[in-house]
Amino acid sequence: MPWQTQDFAAASGPTPQRESPLALSVRNILRKPSSRVALFVLGVIVLVGLLAPLIAPYNPAAQPDIVGLKDLPPSLAHPFGTDPYSRDVLSRVIYGARLSLMIGILATIVSLTLGVAYGAIAGYAGGILDAVMMRVLDAFLSIPRLLLLIGVLVAWPKLSIGALVVFLGLTGWFGLSRIVRGQVLALKHAEFVTAAQALGASRRRILWRHLLPNIVSPIVVAATLGVAHVIVLEAGLSYLGIGVPKPLASWGNIIQDGSDQFPTMWWMSLFPGLFMVLTVMTLNILAESLSDAYERRR
Amino acid sequence: MNGTEPLVSVRNLKKEFPIRKGILSRQVGAVKAVNDVSFDVARGETLGVVGESGCGKTTTGRSILRLIEPTSGEIRFEGRDVRAMGTSELRALRREMQIIFQDPVSSLNPRMAVGAIIREGLTIHKLAEGAAADARVRQLLQEVGLRPEYSNRYPHEFSGGQRQRIGIARALSVEPKFIVCDEPVSALDVSVQAQVINLLEDLQRDHDLTYMFIAHDLSVVEHIADRVAVMYLGKIVELATVEDLYSTPLMPYTQALLSAVPVADPHARKERIILQGDVPSPANPPSGCVFHPRCHHPAKDAACAAIVPPLEEKTPGHFAACIKQPPTTVSWEQQKEAGGVHPPERYLPLAAVHA
Repeated sequence: MPWQTQDFAAASGPTPQRESPLALSVRNILRKPSSRVALFVLGVIVLVGLLAPLIAPYNPAAQPDIVGLKDLPPSLAHPFGTDPYSRDVLSRVIYGARLSLMIGILATIVSLTLGVAYGAIAGYAGGILDAVMMRVLDAFLSIPRLLLLIGVLVAWPKLSIGALVVFLGLTGWFGLSRIVRGQVLALKHAEFVTAAQALGASRRRILWRHLLPNIVSPIVVAATLGVAHVIVLEAGLSYLGIGVPKPLASWGNIIQDGSDQFPTMWWMSLFPGLFMVLTVMTLNILAESLSDAYERRR
Repeated sequence: MNGTEPLVSVRNLKKEFPIRKGILSRQVGAVKAVNDVSFDVARGETLGVVGESGCGKTTTGRSILRLIEPTSGEIRFEGRDVRAMGTSELRALRREMQIIFQDPVSSLNPRMAVGAIIREGLTIHKLAEGAAADARVRQLLQEVGLRPEYSNRYPHEFSGGQRQRIGIARALSVEPKFIVCDEPVSALDVSVQAQVINLLEDLQRDHDLTYMFIAHDLSVVEHIADRVAVMYLGKIVELATVEDLYSTPLMPYTQALLSAVPVADPHARKERIILQGDVPSPANPPSGCVFHPRCHHPAKDAACAAIVPPLEEKTPGHFAACIKQPPTTVSWEQQKEAGGVHPPERYLPLAAVHA
């Protein structure tokens, strides 16, 4: 039917743009000035964390003169001052960015994997399995995350950072798996899924090729918020002295080091705190515009 | 038909959806979506299935493909028992039976490029790989009247008619013998409907396809179908060739449907049979003939509410489920016993006869 081909090309050819839905939503997000600023600020912080060894003026663990150089207020030599052990706060904040972001991202990857797997299986299987899995989830959700973590970390006081990441991830997937399960449940009766079934697609194929790609947006939103949440949690735990082992520099640890003398030696806690707030804020702004872009598309 | 084995054969198909209530999910009833349906589809023919929404057309079509598991009944495809098939047999069967959907928006995965959508069947059934698959995708696009270059575009870039063509190419990719067309043009503009129907007819001719064409538009079905089954409340109430059905509709329900088909002649004065009331709930269908509460047949009486009318051959090849349209196997004595007062009487209102 060559005539038909030409007929259609002339009559109703679609616009020449060729963008995947993902590229479209990225553009949608960047349209908002606030999210562009947030992305820039976050990008700088991430870059600082990545390039910490190149940027930091001092070794974050070095205690050059514990008598003469301790508790110095901000100066040209030490822009963020020094702490009670004479360590340079700026260098520690820079290395702290590295550690805190890394813990946030890795823990979120752990919870993302668990949450997506659990939610997708429950939603796709449905029936009794779904009901049982959801009740188990309810039980997990009823335990406050912070309390659980404090309990675990007090019971095993000398945990490595790797174990800390795993525990933060293990306690962070419940909400996410709820979201994933709901989305899978809503999508699994869509006609394109039925079409895939009619073509003979396996359950695994339907899950990976048809269901999960269509719920990427809410997952990304939840993951972005998750990273912010883990950063705050980690800081909280480190502040309590049961998070990242000292003398490693995480934002929580640095705040803790200065917490005794906060009213007089404010620089020890203020700067790491500022960085943390900035990171969490930009992550939240990005999550919000991601979720806006997602809602708009629907 | 004509002595050969039918391609698809359905016997006593039933599908009930349970109604559950309360905290214990006790079953309190069942929606009889498809209630004892039997029919054959001959090789190369198009069986039209018409009826109002909710009458079980779609459920019947999807049950044949086992996209919905029927409650009971028998489905045979080329003599093989479809309901008894295991996973691997069923997967092989998927190559031979396909489906085209009503909704051109939700039937295409928005995250997959058109090429990937069409290619999926080739991958699943290992029909082609790499460059051969690319070539096949281009060929399929061309065959449904789209440009081969469209394969790396996404569904949102296309119009409804074009999307429907993509859906047709996807179904065609595995070279099926039988395609269930589930209201494939109902969501399209009238001008586009004709294009898609012509495409379906061309494809049927070129590939020896057999269609089950589900629709609620009688004029669309008249154009494409060889035989038509009319469904009402989960039952087939009439089954005949297009010519017979449109010239001598025997089932009062079909008569009412046909009288509602608009005629493209401003001077034509056409009477209409107006049905009283609503379609009863399929969870609680009327006793006897499911259509009796709304029937306008002059001989309707208490027997209609008591006797379930069998789908019987009134004239050669013309089946109807009505004990008041002669000839009938339900004798007048039996009808009288059930409270009948009017003997069967042939009734064919002028309003129902299609020009």
